[in-house]
Amino acid sequence: MSTTSQSGAPRRAVKEFTVPNRLGIHARPAALFVKVANKYHSHITVEKDGEEINGKSIMGLMMLAAGQGSKLKVVAEGDDAVEALQGLEELFVKKFNEE
Amino acid sequence: MNQRQQPTVTVERFYLNHAENLQLRLVTGGGGLTRRILEGSVNRCGLALAGFFKYFAFKRVQVIGAAEWQFLKSLPEPERERRVEAVLAAKIPCLVFARNLSASPAMLDQADRAGVPIFKTSMTTMKFINAATIALEMEFAPQVSEHGSMVDILGIGVLIRGESGIGKSESVLALLERGYSLVSDDITRFRLVEGRELVGTSSETTRYHMEIRGLGIINVPAVFGVRSVRPEKRLDLVVTLMESGQMAEVDRVGLERQTYSILGVELPHVVIPVRSGRDLARLIEVAALDQKLKSLGHNAAREFNERLIERMRTG
Repeated sequence: MSTTSQSGAPRRAVKEFTVPNRLGIHARPAALFVKVANKYHSHITVEKDGEEINGKSIMGLMMLAAGQGSKLKVVAEGDDAVEALQGLEELFVKKFNEE
Repeated sequence: MNQRQQPTVTVERFYLNHAENLQLRLVTGGGGLTRRILEGSVNRCGLALAGFFKYFAFKRVQVIGAAEWQFLKSLPEPERERRVEAVLAAKIPCLVFARNLSASPAMLDQADRAGVPIFKTSMTTMKFINAATIALEMEFAPQVSEHGSMVDILGIGVLIRGESGIGKSESVLALLERGYSLVSDDITRFRLVEGRELVGTSSETTRYHMEIRGLGIINVPAVFGVRSVRPEKRLDLVVTLMESGQMAEVDRVGLERQTYSILGVELPHVVIPVRSGRDLARLIEVAALDQKLKSLGHNAAREFNERLIERMRTG
């Protein structure tokens, strides 16, 4: 995780996650991801294979069709960028409460 | 709200509501119309007339058919009066003569004195018993009043719930404008039919009227035309409008099946968060249409998700 914090400039946090659950990011995990993402003010984007979507959009996340083992680059920008990534990381650690 | 009402069925109510379809005519004993029918069924009182009172379903509507009538006719006068007297004294709600059979003047006199209403129907005994049983079942069906307005959207009966002032009536108005019809405004009565279906209706006093803040009471068919109202409708979907701040969780994808229970029937339930700028009527309309799709066997959310999972699995 990298953070840049200069006075006035927005903070930015980046981390790559591997989709851990067997079914991948289908509707339920996508909704869970968005629910957690919405707790933070930061702007969150998710990137897979060069395609970048808004991390607060359920349809966007499902469009990525991120199956088990695929890599997602999550970028948070804003005051609570670090916290946002920590919150989202928890979901991947817990395998979206699926297994 | 959600108060269960034990229906009180008087002979008068039974008569007023079903005189036409049961072809009932009151012959005598009008003073006894306030008597209560305590059991929603019909009994042929032949055995009681024969003097057997050990098992007598006196709480039910009593019927005299050809057999009972011929039996009474076969009895000598004083004996007949004695038998009739005993049945009339057994706290029965009323007596119905089928096949347009006539009670003897003496019997009419007895019934009038005992305050037991006597009716006549032109139906045959069997037909009357069948029709009266259905009619009584309807009168005795468990009922409940729910706070909420009910609308028929393309055949889907939708109950719209929510705190007062959240926009129920405004949504209903917009739905009426789109050509759907009103069943009840603000308070809807539900009747459990055959133990598995709920039929909603409005109270007779408020039927076809709505109270709109700032406008007062409006007559719906006068403003929107007769197509805009219907007396009753089966309930298929419950929609709850909720202040978005009060909502703990919103099901964003529609995979979770929420239900709302009325009189023990579990109904599909959709909770719509209310925020300014949202077209609530449109959302309710789409919820109803989606429910219609589901009733046809299409669950959009589930089918979408299954396709997505399949796509991820095959890479």
